[in-house]
Amino acid sequence: MAAASSSDSDSGRAESEASSKWLDAHYDPMANIHTFSACLQLADLHGDGEYKLVVGDLGPGGQQPRLKVLKGPTVLSESPLPALPAAAATFLMEQHEPRTPALALASGPCVYVYKNLRPYFKFSLPQLPPNPLEQDLWNQAKEDRIDPLTLKEMLEGIREKAEVPLSVQSLRFLQLELSEMEAFVNQHKSKSIRRQTVITTMTTLKKNLADEDAVSCLVLGTENKELLVLDPEAFTVLAKISLPSVPVFLEVSGQFDVEFRLAAACRNGNIYMLRRDSKRPKYCIELSAQPVGLVRVHKVLVVGSNQDSLHGFTHKGKRLWAVQMPAAILTMNLLEQRSQGLQAVMAGLANGEVRIYRDKALLSIVRTPDAVTSLCFGRYGREDHTLIMTTRGGGLIIKILKRTAVFVEGGGEAGPPPAQAMKLNMPRKTRLYVDQTLREREAGTAMHRTFQADLYLLRLRAARAYAQALESSLSPVSATAREPLKLHAVVQGLGPTFKLTLHLQNTSTARPILGLLVCFLYNEGLYALPRAFFKVPLLVPGLSYPLETFVESLSDKGISDIIKVLVLREGQSAPLLSAHINMPVSEGLAAA
Amino acid sequence: MAEQRLAMRTQFPASAESLKPRLKKAPEFPILEKQNWLIHLHYIRKDYEACKDVIKEQLQETQGLCEYAIYVQALIFRLEGNIQESLELFQTCAVLSPQSADNLKQVARSLFLLGKHKAATEVYNEAAKLNQKDWEICHNLGVCYIYLKQLDKAQDQLHNALHLNRHDLTYIMLGKIHLLEGDLDKAIEIYKKAVEFSPENTELLTTLGLLYLQLGIYQKAFEHLGNALTYDPTNYKAILAAGSMMQTHGDFDVALTKYRIVACAVPESPPLWNNIGMCFFGKKKYVAAISCLKRANYLAPFDWKILYNLGLVHLTMQQYASAFHFLSAAINFQPKMGELYMLLAVALTNLEDTENARRAYTEAVRLDKCNPLVNLNYAVLLYNQGEERGALAQYQEMEKKVNLLKDSSSLEFDPEMVEMAQKLGAALQVGEALVWTKPVKDPKSKQRTTSTGVGGTSQLTKPASLPLEPEPTVEAQPTEASAQIREK
Repeated sequence: MAAASSSDSDSGRAESEASSKWLDAHYDPMANIHTFSACLQLADLHGDGEYKLVVGDLGPGGQQPRLKVLKGPTVLSESPLPALPAAAATFLMEQHEPRTPALALASGPCVYVYKNLRPYFKFSLPQLPPNPLEQDLWNQAKEDRIDPLTLKEMLEGIREKAEVPLSVQSLRFLQLELSEMEAFVNQHKSKSIRRQTVITTMTTLKKNLADEDAVSCLVLGTENKELLVLDPEAFTVLAKISLPSVPVFLEVSGQFDVEFRLAAACRNGNIYMLRRDSKRPKYCIELSAQPVGLVRVHKVLVVGSNQDSLHGFTHKGKRLWAVQMPAAILTMNLLEQRSQGLQAVMAGLANGEVRIYRDKALLSIVRTPDAVTSLCFGRYGREDHTLIMTTRGGGLIIKILKRTAVFVEGGGEAGPPPAQAMKLNMPRKTRLYVDQTLREREAGTAMHRTFQADLYLLRLRAARAYAQALESSLSPVSATAREPLKLHAVVQGLGPTFKLTLHLQNTSTARPILGLLVCFLYNEGLYALPRAFFKVPLLVPGLSYPLETFVESLSDKGISDIIKVLVLREGQSAPLLSAHINMPVSEGLAAA
Repeated sequence: MAEQRLAMRTQFPASAESLKPRLKKAPEFPILEKQNWLIHLHYIRKDYEACKDVIKEQLQETQGLCEYAIYVQALIFRLEGNIQESLELFQTCAVLSPQSADNLKQVARSLFLLGKHKAATEVYNEAAKLNQKDWEICHNLGVCYIYLKQLDKAQDQLHNALHLNRHDLTYIMLGKIHLLEGDLDKAIEIYKKAVEFSPENTELLTTLGLLYLQLGIYQKAFEHLGNALTYDPTNYKAILAAGSMMQTHGDFDVALTKYRIVACAVPESPPLWNNIGMCFFGKKKYVAAISCLKRANYLAPFDWKILYNLGLVHLTMQQYASAFHFLSAAINFQPKMGELYMLLAVALTNLEDTENARRAYTEAVRLDKCNPLVNLNYAVLLYNQGEERGALAQYQEMEKKVNLLKDSSSLEFDPEMVEMAQKLGAALQVGEALVWTKPVKDPKSKQRTTSTGVGGTSQLTKPASLPLEPEPTVEAQPTEASAQIREK
């Protein structure tokens, strides 16, 4: 297929190939596989000892769901799916020879079962029981014994407090306008109301034998906050367990008929632990974050949280350890190296690393060109230890673990952090500084005295200037109790014509001000104003009044001057406040 | 029965037709929750763009009836900072399913983030009616009550939360309440329990260490800070606190090595550069000390402790004019500390402004309650001015303080100060006072500034005063008060 045309440029990246534990088998950045770890499965689908990769592909943007089967680097078969796959699982349905596993794909409310890659069976989730009151109402509507308005009221009453939620039909009805109700009821009244739920997650559980190739049941998690265990042959529901929230990830061990432990990570951020005989969750881990992955390593439950950390828990929900990750965890899965008896957790991170942990200890880091969004480890083709990863951009990476590879703990984690060896970035001092220091030592007293004298002078001058400004109302804020005013001016334009806007504001709390005048003082040789003197309208407290006027610059020598603005009260010669406006140079003339 | 599959694909787009009223056969309704799982998976991976696309699609298909899609959209809005919009969406969710405590919790959380704590408590109480066994509701109610300053209620709620399920966060908030009440012992109790529950939480360990440090229980403080550093060798709060303890013991080189880690992690921390500066001061590298302290001062211009240290180093360098400026700046920010006025007086004495020096001493003596050095320095000044009576009065005041100190603590007096006091005592003819009976040992690590001409110096090493505010800003303050005594 097209995907096989990928470049064989792997040999170029020989950086640490020799020292690495991994062999780069295949990398195709354009493989166009968009999926989650739950939809990746390795299985010997044809019973010929050649393991295939099953991918429930969501397609780019979740638009073209497909079932892909890969053999080596090539796509063996590809078939469209009716809806997005939520999970894929391979399991043995019966004892008969040849023992080829069946493939189950959960999608929407159905599980599609394939044998030999041919459609074999479709299991649909049983309908949920409708609310009896609701049923009753629609039955009445059917016999036209109830008008749409009453129906709406009654349904709303049910929605307010009923335990069993309404069906989609009723919810739609409640959204309608009055005019549309009649038609809707007529159209739908003959139908029985239905409530259907959706599968959110799926996994397998051995039926009664612990063997590698024992018959397994499917375990489904539904949007309805339930777990269902299906019989592998008859596809009947063997057990139903209800949870406090919607399950997202499942982790099961044991055998259904003997004893099993089940952990379900749910949407409310909690992980619930169940056993065979418990109808309700026995233990609960409150993560106070959202779990992004759940993997069982020997007896430890490893949970990745969306706060970038991995946590280890016992079966009883006791926290054992926590490790902080350098980036967000995107996906997790189990790595099992049977020959070494090793089980570890792989976590794909947003920074393009796949980290492998045994408990708290980091075993290895695999760096990838793109962030890994789904991964799985196991037998692929005829190679026992293969790591399969798909990336955010739809790429496919296959790496083979060398047969000689041994994971050892402690990849340079101990000892002081590297930052301790860095030199302190000290600020340097110059020769000049040292000289000044010496001078200060010699003449410190004189310096101090001069400084103090100057400081007094400065204060004196500031006080004088302030007093003068107050006396002659030079400040832009008037301090008199009768006319509390604020003025600020803006000059716009490049010249020779400028627009001068005065913003005058009455800052008193309640009293309006009447009878103010504005007067401009300027050099008539340089500037011309249409009106140098005008009345101000009544000023309402709090509002800022923009008073606009045009200023024509008459000089062509590129000089500018100050225009003084005085705000006066009628009948008084002393201004209430004044502002000096530094006019800009007229650039219009300068350019001409 | 398996063969219906091929026909399935065409069945799904049917929803678009559902609005046509004149269809003979009523169309199927799409399942509302069809893609909730996908929305959730995108959401927890923080792939918000993909998430929004699915949400949009889902909401279009269900005509806005899919509660979970709206819920996640609201969560994303909140993460993006659009709290008001998210609040409105959560309220829509609450209309779609009024019985859900989750929606109410999120509404309350948004209100909380908007600072409407009162309204948030009301909604949380509403949610608590629907779900009584939720630690999160209790915990958040507790936090709201803290902001509303109803500490008793807050405590009750947090204890409830702990009762339902133990979380580190609840312990931290509970500890904070006790700190707000000023009850260090209770806070320590809480943090001890918390550390027992989660022994690897470095934040808890550091906070507990700092609390012990405040109480002066150095052994335990060091133990907890050390533990915190074992689990996280780059925890800068713990490093700063531990470093300041090393400084008080004179281990300047070790402290400096540790500070390198902090300098990498938070190169712009004022307390860090303050502490580095004081390390150099301890190693008598005064120029380096000044440049580090000046950087600290640049980063935190309103921190009086840094200004105090700058004043101290400049006094040591005999740059009295500069010292004067730093000290007067420090006094502007912290006008209630006797030692500051004393240092200012020392600077002024050296700038030959005796009149103002006396004023500063008067203020210092008025404010200070326990440092004998203040009185001793004042006495020396008065004696040099020829006012033996005043000097005597200050000398006696000093003796009182010394006696008090000897009773209450095992503090060693600086030998230089003792020597100076004895000289002054002799000059004032009060005889060989018997206050210095405690043998003075280990005079080696005390630093003294070399002095030229008339000035002799003496220093008192006080027990290191560590930050007294419960906030986690670690700020070590090796306060070494220098004093200048002019001999007759």
